[in-house]
Amino acid sequence: MKKHVLTIAVLIITAVLLAGCTQTQPATQQPSGTGSTSVIKVGVIASLTGPASNVGTNMWQSAQVAADKINAEGGVTLKDGSKVQLKLIVGDDESTATGGQKAATKLITDDKVDILVGGYSSAVTSAYEQTIAEYKIPFIVTGASSPIITHRPDVDTSYIFHHCPTTDTYGEYTTLFIDQVVRPAVNKKLNASADRPFRLALLYQDTAFGKGIQTAVNNTITKNKLNIQLVSQQSFRMGDSDFRTQLTAIKAANPDAVYNGAFPNEGAPIITQARRDIGLNTIFLNAENNDNAQFYKDLGQYGEGAIIESRYSPYTAPAGEVSEAQEGFKQSYFARFGTYPDMMGASTYEGVYIAAKAIGNAGTTDKTAVRQALVDLKMPQVIEAMKDKTISFSPEFRESTFDLWMEQLSYNATIGETRPVIVWPDNLKTTDFVLPPWYVAGSSP
Amino acid sequence: MDNIGVLLQIIFWGLYAGCIYILLATGLNLIFGVMKVVNFAHGEFLMIGAYITFTIFILTGFNPYLILVLSMLALIGIGAVIERLCFRPILGTGKLNEIFLSIGLIYIIQNGAAMIWGDAWQSVKSPYAGITVQIGSLDVPFDYILIMVFTAAILCGLYLFLKKTTIGMQMRASSQNRKGAMLVGIDVERIDIISFGLGCALAAAAGTLWVVSGQVFNPYMGSIPAVKAFAIIILGGLGSIPGAIIGGLLMGLAENGAAYFLGGIWKDAISFVILIIVLVVKPTGLFGEKGE
Repeated sequence: MKKHVLTIAVLIITAVLLAGCTQTQPATQQPSGTGSTSVIKVGVIASLTGPASNVGTNMWQSAQVAADKINAEGGVTLKDGSKVQLKLIVGDDESTATGGQKAATKLITDDKVDILVGGYSSAVTSAYEQTIAEYKIPFIVTGASSPIITHRPDVDTSYIFHHCPTTDTYGEYTTLFIDQVVRPAVNKKLNASADRPFRLALLYQDTAFGKGIQTAVNNTITKNKLNIQLVSQQSFRMGDSDFRTQLTAIKAANPDAVYNGAFPNEGAPIITQARRDIGLNTIFLNAENNDNAQFYKDLGQYGEGAIIESRYSPYTAPAGEVSEAQEGFKQSYFARFGTYPDMMGASTYEGVYIAAKAIGNAGTTDKTAVRQALVDLKMPQVIEAMKDKTISFSPEFRESTFDLWMEQLSYNATIGETRPVIVWPDNLKTTDFVLPPWYVAGSSP
Repeated sequence: MDNIGVLLQIIFWGLYAGCIYILLATGLNLIFGVMKVVNFAHGEFLMIGAYITFTIFILTGFNPYLILVLSMLALIGIGAVIERLCFRPILGTGKLNEIFLSIGLIYIIQNGAAMIWGDAWQSVKSPYAGITVQIGSLDVPFDYILIMVFTAAILCGLYLFLKKTTIGMQMRASSQNRKGAMLVGIDVERIDIISFGLGCALAAAAGTLWVVSGQVFNPYMGSIPAVKAFAIIILGGLGSIPGAIIGGLLMGLAENGAAYFLGGIWKDAISFVILIIVLVVKPTGLFGEKGE
């Protein structure tokens, strides 16, 4: 019996240790060349464990690439002329609201960070915004995309700066693309008159993110009086992997296109199940967070013709300086980690640059001064295309404005995956949007 | 598509979902029936089964339906080790110990899988993807027909094993009366190991059929199906395999029906609504007996 008790004790200790290994990732990791006292402590909140760990790890690693580069170039110059290195400290939100609360509190109270960067999932990030408000610490959110992050009235969000397009922005952008590009193409195919209403279906995650997209589409149609009819609006729970019933309902509504408000682990099975199992041969439009390598891999040939709204892609970039900057970032990241960064990694990389610039402009790590520096910030775009090629935050809700684009996927049989080409807007596109030969337009039931 | 066509299609998706639930719940019931242990980590065996199929598929390119057998055999071994090292020492020491042990196992297995395979979402492409079969007015994917056939074949195999083999009869005897079984000379500890291994193998079959149907998976995917499997065995009656089969089918149909008629957010909730109603009307579950 003693033996058995011992075995269980060993197992439990192993469990605790194993859980500890991943649940509380090393709290502090020093980038090369950091000093012991005169350093700027940048807290990075990322999901290192749990369902969002893939994205979170990418965000954390991208932050390290940025800090390394800034430190290698001498660090941040303060008011007194001293050059100070950045020291990153990671907090794992465990992909949960309680984990996020723990991570934020620890970074602020134990590690005493000067500024925070990161935050993925609006549900997780909004859970610790009260803590940010309480301690009045500047926080550059680079992953959560719901507008509630800086719009919510119940918490003082004045120290929170949103460097990530919101669902309002890209929901509107995608709806305008549908109206200006997809609708005329479908009318042309059907030889229909220009006033034929476009039949759009929505399939969205039942969270702030998915509902944000749903609201944005509805508002854009109403505000701009667009000739788009929402023929089906179906929801699903976050993390679902079987969407066949909702897709069957959508197919019965005869849509001209389907807009997915989904994460990549949901978006890829939605399109695969729709085309493979349901025979729903239509255009699927996807939010920007789907533009990552895993999404392309999971889609295979079923991604043909699909659309992704994007601002950073693993496989394409708009021509010009941004393209070179993105390539440089991808290569630096690959040299250090052996993989390529994704979109949330790109904005987190920029988040560290924004933090460094704001502290440099303030000339101090004083929180109030850094917040004011962020309010006044006007810095050149880093790796993503920004409006007027400048990173700055809007006065009312402290949101930066990205230059977005729409890309269409085409299948490459050699690699067995699709690859994107930019089809909108005119100043960034490399080719035109086309309806695939297998496309079936909806019609009135 | 007319309304009847849509309804038939949704019933078909419900039957498919029911197949996965049946396998998972039957395995759980087999373990509970014989050992009377509560194992909340049962969904993690589904996840391991999915990953074993995925790994062998990547390494060899074999047909995933053939890998199902290898995955089941591997899980018999893994299940036997876990039963011997974890559950046997605490048998009879109280339900709280079993619950906490299985919760601990969830963390160990999830984190272990994340260390081995990483935590990115993965998928397996069936060699029959894209092939459809015309059944009446429905155009259904061939994979789903295969999934239903495999589920039926596994259940028939299990039925024959329990009815016709000595070990199967010993398992039934242990399930009906453990002390009585011991008195007539059945080695119940051996039967425990076999039952636990078989239960895990059924979870592995569910995991394999899950991945060939085009669903994605990661190390954390097992928890929700496990909770649903518990709901199914309570609904069908603790320890009752016919109960698990009927419960699984009901659950699959109810979930898909709710997603269509009430909206996707009701998909998970509806199962528990049915469970509560059944428990209020018949507290032992549909096929349960008093005293279970």
